[in-house]
Amino acid sequence: MLPYRDSKAQGAADFYFAINATFRFLKRRFGIEKLVKYWSELGESSYFQPVAESWRNDGLPAIAEYWRDFFQAEPNASVDVTYSEQRVFLEVKQCPAIYHLRKNSRCIVSEFCQHCFYVSDALASRAGFEVRIKGGNGACEQTFAKRGSSAPQDLGSIKMADSP
Amino acid sequence: MIGCYDFCGHYEWTFAWIEKNFGHDVLLAYWKEAIAEDSQIHASQLIKEKGFAGMEEYWGHTLAEEGAAYTSSCGKDSFRIDMHDCPSKGFLLANGLSQHKDYCDHCIGWIGPMMKNAGFVVDHEHNHLGKCWWSYRRVGEARQPSDPKAATSNIEAMPGWAPSSAKIDRFNGATGADQKQA
Repeated sequence: MLPYRDSKAQGAADFYFAINATFRFLKRRFGIEKLVKYWSELGESSYFQPVAESWRNDGLPAIAEYWRDFFQAEPNASVDVTYSEQRVFLEVKQCPAIYHLRKNSRCIVSEFCQHCFYVSDALASRAGFEVRIKGGNGACEQTFAKRGSSAPQDLGSIKMADSP
Repeated sequence: MIGCYDFCGHYEWTFAWIEKNFGHDVLLAYWKEAIAEDSQIHASQLIKEKGFAGMEEYWGHTLAEEGAAYTSSCGKDSFRIDMHDCPSKGFLLANGLSQHKDYCDHCIGWIGPMMKNAGFVVDHEHNHLGKCWWSYRRVGEARQPSDPKAATSNIEAMPGWAPSSAKIDRFNGATGADQKQA
């Protein structure tokens, strides 16, 4: 269940341009550290409070439901979400953002895929969970599990995004 | 991942975050550099190349994609949009989101610099309730009087434009969010 509802079933894909441009602006002006701070603080913010609360109250089933609904509302996403008692596993076969940016020949911020880790891990930590990510640059695997159950995220296992 | 479905929500949060961390001037620079000159570079190129026809083409596509309720009219000397139900501000109002003191300023924050770069200026009013109007004219040309034939679609002439709760911001021949009339 998504916390905020729109009158349309899916978002406007051109907004991915603004997301990518926001990352570039912060990185260029203030460096990667401030961009990471932006991602982390967004995950910790009141904006995601309803999501954090739902994950805290209802655990992994709520995490699975959130991501199913989330990707259904993102145009051209192809994602399988599976849930077991220990984890929620997202197989992102086609990332909607990278797909749209590439289709429109946009220069993609190389660390683009790291935002998934920093935002989601900050958000998940509020509910006692963590995320680990492998892959990127258009397709990746994301695993949500109880906090402390896996090794720290290796940023090297998140691919840099290529531009066309 | 942050997505495009609830984009307006985290976009608004971002305005407040940038302003708090780096100040208002950096927020103005963000709208100009990140949105006008990077994200919306396709709009900028189209309007620079085709003028009013480019505006019609750009907003025809983007407002349809965003699901806006609006009217527009393209003349020889101006292009006008009347926004009857802004999908962007509407998303925030419908979901009770209010992180930044004036979300509506972001539009002129990026459109103003883009128009300046293409040789146009902006006459504009917004009521912070999801309604606004825009009229673009070439630099140096006089402000257009309202077209009487279009009066039925002019948002400022309609009920609901200025209820007692509305605070109306006005811009006259502007090219940026910092040119709001007192």
